[in-house]
Amino acid sequence: MVMAMEDVILGQLGFIAAIAMAVIGVYGFASSRSLVRQLLSIEVLFNAVLIMVVILMSFSPLNATLLAIALISIVSGEVIVVVAVIAAVYRFSRTFESSIMEEEGV
Amino acid sequence: MPEQQLMLLASSLLVASMIVASYYVIKAKDLVYASGALAILGSLNAAFIALLGYGLIAAFLVIVYVGAAVMFIIVSVSMLGGAPIETWEPERGIISAAAVAGALGIIVVSSGIYAAYTSPTSPVDLGRIASLIVDRYLVVISVIFVALAATLIEAIAIARRRV
Repeated sequence: MVMAMEDVILGQLGFIAAIAMAVIGVYGFASSRSLVRQLLSIEVLFNAVLIMVVILMSFSPLNATLLAIALISIVSGEVIVVVAVIAAVYRFSRTFESSIMEEEGV
Repeated sequence: MPEQQLMLLASSLLVASMIVASYYVIKAKDLVYASGALAILGSLNAAFIALLGYGLIAAFLVIVYVGAAVMFIIVSVSMLGGAPIETWEPERGIISAAAVAGALGIIVVSSGIYAAYTSPTSPVDLGRIASLIVDRYLVVISVIFVALAATLIEAIAIARRRV
């Protein structure tokens, strides 16, 4: 019974962290026009999603582990591509600002 | 029990640190420092996941995500140099964040999934994971490997090409 209570508190703490990080990530993504800052905001969102996945799939620990490992692998691959795109665009326009790129027609 | 209270105290401190680190990722003026804060956030996230009883996920998160992906961001941002201009539109951010907070809050509270967590009764070991991958998820894992290999080639091609 004590363990169950502890589980409930841990789960609630996890949800508080995940929701706070999701809100901060969405705020950063929507308010900044810098491509790098938007990438970092999406990574904050990913961290929130990972916590939610672990908590929501905890009824099946094996599947939770597999899903989390797949998620981390795919996000790591996505980071490499997005950073490569940002580097390529930066070499052309010398800025990370998406608004300036729109004006220059990149 | 003192041990359980200590664990809950550690979890609360971790959660507070994670929220502060994610705020710093968004608000740090220097993008290199913001990327460093992302590495700290990933490590704190791994510590919290380990406290939840998933040591394997925590180790994988630290090795692959923090050790490779976030370090790649830090090195790339350092090499590209600082971005002196950064435009902020906080109104858009506040409206979006409020919408997300409201939607997530309603979903979590109304469905009661905040009580969904149950700690694993036995630690997840690599042998069981490996047999599950080979027996049931071989095709899925193969597709992920092929997709990641294609992603690497694609990233190299994009970075070498002149826009």
